[in-house]
Amino acid sequence: METQGTRLAAARAALRAVETRMGADRKATEGPLLELDDALVPLLPRGLRKGQVIAVEGSTSLVLALVARASLDGAWTAMVGMPNVGMLAAARRGIDLARVALIPYPGVQAPATLGVCIDDMDVVMVGQGLAISDADRRRLAARARESGCVVVAMGRWPGAHVQLTVDGARWAGLGAGEGRLRERDMTVAITGRSTGPARRVVVCLDVDTQSVRRGATVRRAALEDRALGTGAA
Amino acid sequence: MSVPLRDATVATVRRVVLWVPDWPVVAAMAQAGIGVDAPAAVLHGKGMLAVSAAARAAGVRRGMRKRMAQRACPELTILSHDEGRDAREFEAVAAAAENVVSGVEISRPGLLMIPSEGAARFHGSEEALAEALVTRVVEDAGYESSVGIADGLLAAVMAARANSLIQRGQSHDFLAPLPVDTLVHATMERTQRAEVEALVSVLVRLGLTRLGDFTALPSADVMARFGQVGAWAQRMARGEDVAPPVLRRAEGDIAVEYVFEEPAERIEQLAFVAVHVAGQLDAALLAAASRCARVRIGARTVTGDELVRVWRTDVGSRSGAFTKHMADRVRWQLEGWLSGTGAGTGTASPQPAPLTALTLTAEDVVPLGAEQSFLWGGTSGADARAHRAMERLQGLLGPEGVLAVSEQGGRTPRDRVHALAWGQEGEPARRVSHPWPGRVPDPAPATVLASPVEIHVLDAGGSPVRVDRRLAVSAPPTWVRLQADPADRVARAAHRHPSSGHVGGSDGPVWAAPLPVEAWAGPWPIVERWWSSEASRRAFLQVALRDDAGNSGPALLIALHEGRWMLEAVYD
Repeated sequence: METQGTRLAAARAALRAVETRMGADRKATEGPLLELDDALVPLLPRGLRKGQVIAVEGSTSLVLALVARASLDGAWTAMVGMPNVGMLAAARRGIDLARVALIPYPGVQAPATLGVCIDDMDVVMVGQGLAISDADRRRLAARARESGCVVVAMGRWPGAHVQLTVDGARWAGLGAGEGRLRERDMTVAITGRSTGPARRVVVCLDVDTQSVRRGATVRRAALEDRALGTGAA
Repeated sequence: MSVPLRDATVATVRRVVLWVPDWPVVAAMAQAGIGVDAPAAVLHGKGMLAVSAAARAAGVRRGMRKRMAQRACPELTILSHDEGRDAREFEAVAAAAENVVSGVEISRPGLLMIPSEGAARFHGSEEALAEALVTRVVEDAGYESSVGIADGLLAAVMAARANSLIQRGQSHDFLAPLPVDTLVHATMERTQRAEVEALVSVLVRLGLTRLGDFTALPSADVMARFGQVGAWAQRMARGEDVAPPVLRRAEGDIAVEYVFEEPAERIEQLAFVAVHVAGQLDAALLAAASRCARVRIGARTVTGDELVRVWRTDVGSRSGAFTKHMADRVRWQLEGWLSGTGAGTGTASPQPAPLTALTLTAEDVVPLGAEQSFLWGGTSGADARAHRAMERLQGLLGPEGVLAVSEQGGRTPRDRVHALAWGQEGEPARRVSHPWPGRVPDPAPATVLASPVEIHVLDAGGSPVRVDRRLAVSAPPTWVRLQADPADRVARAAHRHPSSGHVGGSDGPVWAAPLPVEAWAGPWPIVERWWSSEASRRAFLQVALRDDAGNSGPALLIALHEGRWMLEAVYD
């Protein structure tokens, strides 16, 4: 009995056989992966591939969260042209500040600076408003592919492998004059060179551990109340 | 149980002890310029800490009150206690002893310890070694001292006090008839001394007055009754302590100094000097066959200011290039000091002034090949590559172009980050471990503006929101007006339009359309450093905005400072 599934499997097997025979295996051309935080796996299900350029629009936190796990695992990180980045937030997200170099104002040397960083660092974060042309960007992307450096750029980057655009963020925990910012859900639109139309994913970037704990205790207290109530009845 | 322990031979280090009697008072008298035969004493707290020989002959004793001492000896000179002076003056004695032997341990100011084996072999006999030590200390440092040689620490100290030489294996018999309070002489610190004094008083009350009585006790029982102190005391009294002397490093820091013939104020003059001095330091390190982990660059200005900065370096990995590498750092530093821009972060930078002298000091000097690698393997290739890349960028952008950051204590997100030029050593100004009450709560904002920007916070009626002295908000904030992006043409046109409240061009900031506030919290007061010139009183507010389309927009951290609302950070 030939179903659609078996036909698809047979077609895929044939394609793979041709690929291996011709030496056009996709695995061979794609670089190895850097680790990604668990919460962000829905954004980049294929992982943070070395040599890729990822453009992030609308959120600095997302940029920091993307590279946090890699930095914790020992990657060297450079932040070029980001004078306003909150390093405390970076540290809280898990970036190891001992392996971070901050180059806040590269000025007219921006292409040369980025070139040096891309050649010798593992992850390079690029800020907005740098003096780099589209030709520079193409050249830098090629160098990144060669050296296996991950470039995470804020704003638009023509030719980026993945473009993440933050559509909206919703904060929880703030009231009318009381509370504080606690949790945030972010809606991110993902477009990429090798993917179809934009996908939208909601990620929870900031999880308030205290409120989770308090919620658990409240729930447990409610359970105990119920148990007591049944006992009394 | 005790018998086999006592008969077991414990290989102790045979050691020489050089003791200068009454060191605190001897040092104080030398510094005050008083002759050695004058009666003098050092007063610490309520009692006399040390008494000179003449004063002792007049009846002044250690621990005596000031009034009692003056009654016993009216012409007594009373000197103040200073531990720093004691240690400093004793350095001369240690240096003199180092002319005779290769390494010494300074157990405490007044007491030197030297392992005797090799030194005695070199000088022929232990008597010859003792004679050489005493002679050299008198000639070079000018202090009378006595020397004792024995197995074990307590025996050696007591031998030095008796100025005698105890034969190998005789330490136990030498110590046995001595009173138990001699144990106090084996202590090197004040806290340890207090513990041992308490132990000695108990022993005396138990009827154990001689060290021999104490060592005859079973050691397991002593351990059970007196704990670690008792066990330590018994080991000492038996002459069974095995810890060898910890010899101090004989070589000092390697330094190079350059004095300008006339004060230098142009960078062209200094560029050559930087290369010259760096080359000299390299040669000095090479001559000493050592390498250093840090280099301290110091300069003196004509106004008498001392400017110092420390740079981390790694000579070993840049064998031939050290001169160039160091010359760059020296030049950057001098440029910064001459222009008055990069002079010290955190501290008040001194006025730029011509320089009179330049010093390079190699710190953390270790012999070549003796450097320690990291616990989990050496530095990886990626680490070395990243460091080299950043140093190259510093050459391109200047020293302050590449920053290394660390976390420090503070209340606002901006205060809690400490940035220094890459490769420069420096302590964060404030400790993270302090409590910092009232700091802005987590999560930390991802965008912290390098310099705050003014914004408008308006109530429902459109008038500015105020916070009074009692932290009451005049009305709930309803609208927030941010400054417009300079590239925003619509906002610029609206700013030029007469309806914006002014006619023609205005130099003030261009304001964007007001955004509605969705939720807010605060105000949180932060009043800091009222005692200093950098005093600040601020009230912080967290505000979540809605954007033009009605979706929830960014969350902001804003502060009211001297009547103006400032945008401090964005939670984006």
